[in-house]
Amino acid sequence: MTEASPQPGSLPGPLAGVRVLELADETGQFCGKLFGDLGADVVKIEPPGGEPCRRIGPFLGDIPHPERSLSFWYYNTSKRGITLDINTADGRHLFRSLTAPADVVLETFRPGHLASLGCDYATLSKNNPGLILCSLTPFGQTGPWRDYLSSDLLHMAAGGQMASSGYDETDVPNAPPIAPGGGNAWHMGGHFAYMAIMAALVHRTVSGRGQYIDASIHEACALTTESAIANYIYRGEVLQRHTGRHHSAGPSPRTQFRAGDGNYVCALVGGRLNPRYVRELADLLDTNGMAGDLRDPKYQNQAVIAANTSRIIDGLVAGFIASLPAEEVYHRAQERGFTWGAVRAPEQLLADPHLSDRGFWKEVEHPELSHRFTYPGEAAIFNGSPWRISRRAPLIGEHNAEILGGELALSAGELTMLMENHVI
Amino acid sequence: MKALAGIRVVDFSWVRAGPWATRWLGAFGAEIVKIEWPENERGRLPSTTTPQHLEVNLNTSGNFNDTNVNKKSLSLNVRTAKGLDIVKRLIAVSDIVIENFSSRVLHSWGLGYDEQRRIKPDIVYVSMSGYGHTGRHHHYTTFGPVAQAVSGLTFLSGLPDQPPAGWGWSYMDDTGGMYGAMCAMTGLYHRNMTGQGQHIDLSQMVASVPLVGPALLDVTVNGRGSRRPGYPPGNRAHWPGTPLTANYRGGPTVAPHNAYRTDPGGYNDWCVIVCQSDAEWRRLVQVMGARSWASQDKFATVAGRLQHQEELDERIEGWTRTLGKYAVTDQCQAAGVRALPVQSAEDRVEHDPQLRHREMYLESEHPALGRHKVQNAPFKLSETPATNYLPSPMIGQHTREIVEGLLGFSREELRAGFADGTFWPTQRPRFPYQEEMLR
Repeated sequence: MTEASPQPGSLPGPLAGVRVLELADETGQFCGKLFGDLGADVVKIEPPGGEPCRRIGPFLGDIPHPERSLSFWYYNTSKRGITLDINTADGRHLFRSLTAPADVVLETFRPGHLASLGCDYATLSKNNPGLILCSLTPFGQTGPWRDYLSSDLLHMAAGGQMASSGYDETDVPNAPPIAPGGGNAWHMGGHFAYMAIMAALVHRTVSGRGQYIDASIHEACALTTESAIANYIYRGEVLQRHTGRHHSAGPSPRTQFRAGDGNYVCALVGGRLNPRYVRELADLLDTNGMAGDLRDPKYQNQAVIAANTSRIIDGLVAGFIASLPAEEVYHRAQERGFTWGAVRAPEQLLADPHLSDRGFWKEVEHPELSHRFTYPGEAAIFNGSPWRISRRAPLIGEHNAEILGGELALSAGELTMLMENHVI
Repeated sequence: MKALAGIRVVDFSWVRAGPWATRWLGAFGAEIVKIEWPENERGRLPSTTTPQHLEVNLNTSGNFNDTNVNKKSLSLNVRTAKGLDIVKRLIAVSDIVIENFSSRVLHSWGLGYDEQRRIKPDIVYVSMSGYGHTGRHHHYTTFGPVAQAVSGLTFLSGLPDQPPAGWGWSYMDDTGGMYGAMCAMTGLYHRNMTGQGQHIDLSQMVASVPLVGPALLDVTVNGRGSRRPGYPPGNRAHWPGTPLTANYRGGPTVAPHNAYRTDPGGYNDWCVIVCQSDAEWRRLVQVMGARSWASQDKFATVAGRLQHQEELDERIEGWTRTLGKYAVTDQCQAAGVRALPVQSAEDRVEHDPQLRHREMYLESEHPALGRHKVQNAPFKLSETPATNYLPSPMIGQHTREIVEGLLGFSREELRAGFADGTFWPTQRPRFPYQEEMLR
């Protein structure tokens, strides 16, 4: 510890006081989670019966049920939830009432849907000029693909992720381009949308004015392939896919090696070999008696190193890694200053002491189940205003009475009537 | 009008994730003062994106240009007492300090948060290190691929019974950069509302882990790990012949859900097709010409399509091979079927009608590189557009503007700083624009 104070558990988050209304499916719920975990008061507005992405698995105990979706649980922490059918006149009326004091509305309807309900930005901001409305959609509000259907896989194809990811022909002949898993198209869109909304919020602290944001997941993905676009624009290059490492215009040394326990290690060696690196590498490999002839003074010559690159990487480095478990290689290498890592399955992270040291894992109470579950926490430690999960995902309509009854002052009778009429 | 007009950022960032963060702060209109030193520059050199007809030097990296639009460059040796003093004077008139060094570097310069706060009490300091400033492995280092490996992201990508395919680029440099910008603006909002600055300790490795969230909950709640038969299932939602379990891709378990070769069979001639319901499947059957194979009962239900996925995919590919990937896309989407082409960088820049319509790649003039397309923003803000307005700076291009104009040094002091190696290494040849600023 140098300058970081202890995690200030009782302080409000950095977005305390910000009210976000979220009308989002699987494409936008992660953006809402970021706001909620960072301290905003996020009210998730679901259709009566619950948002359809509650049907995405895995489920608690493998029992499929809209209240047991772990995917929904994960992406909807730190939110409260109400049900409201905004396709009904009553629902729209209530929605407009909710937008009057809101700071942000995040919506993922098909382009034009909100406007067709008379809830476009011009209308909603009439009584709330500070309102920020962000439409986060697969392709944005305009253009020839505006109404195209999408999915995570589709975005990874068109965004360029697949063109860069896959296998060397020598490793897996005829392999297709591979779309990395985990639902990351939604993450990419969520990150950019979060950023745009934050810029608008900061601007509003100065100007007092809100605005409309048209955010596109396809564009977010297309922006997320590192230098691939620059390689094309400046050099006309089309990149090749390689097993577990960077795309490249030509052949490149491998960086993924099978360790002694059958797991893999990512070892960035190619492009870094110079006399000093070779000396340090010899020290590392010697920790398991595997340095071979690497201490031979002839390797203190860059030309000799270059002529032996393949032998060093595919022979000595690969041999060393194959002689130890992946985690052991990872820590031995990092302790000596090598930027190497074990390729871990997610389940291995639970035992990572570094994450525990940083208080990363969060115990989240599910009172209706009388149980606490361990959740992954936050990307960064905010030392002055904590980023932290404040509560589990809402149950369907859990806060109808609190918000519709409390804030909008609907009576129990009115709530009953709305329920009977499928409005909430 | 720009959203972050009037905000000044002291930008120490070097390799990809840091500059990608400040690129976005710049796009929103913050004044980014990028502090660089040619002897240990890593974003400009080595360059693999210099056009073939240009000399490789500090000002001709195409990727640097795309990553550093909307910024100014101050060349300054921070590792001298005089350079450090200038940095402190700069911090005193700035709002945000952002860097992506290893965890102890800024502190070792005497520029830790406590010192920053002494100079500028409400400073928002975002450190973007590999493992963060706390925790037992804070001294470990990352590049994107290592953060991806250690966090589980790499493992989620690949075919069953094969090594991980991983991510073919530093996804966590892109995404780490996103978090840098997100944290900076969140801290800035908090400052504007409360008057309080703070140190935000971002870790590239730790920031990767929440992206594996549902797979991690499957572990902590259900005890199910990802190291299991059929996982990861390549591009499919489920691998045939293995137990039906969730795939964490954020969509339903369905077939078809795969990449299919298209005409003329080149390296990137693939199209992906997904049917999320029986109705979507029936529409695809029509698009494919209502062939008899497709009307078989065994393909009529999602359970049947999952069970007979090998044959299904082979049959679908028999059709897609007869068409180009954009034709498959257009025919499917016109009928309400989910399909999009696998797009290379060339495809996105030249052939994607949506990105063209949305003006994702607009030309911009750079003094050394000439006129090239630069990536734009994926969002349109009605009142404060985040369009690019400056090409990337040449190294040290704005040294005089910042040192004289902002910090109030005299021309003599500027010349003295060049003479004593504060603003440029004394032995290193200067670019013409640097000679110009010394006149």
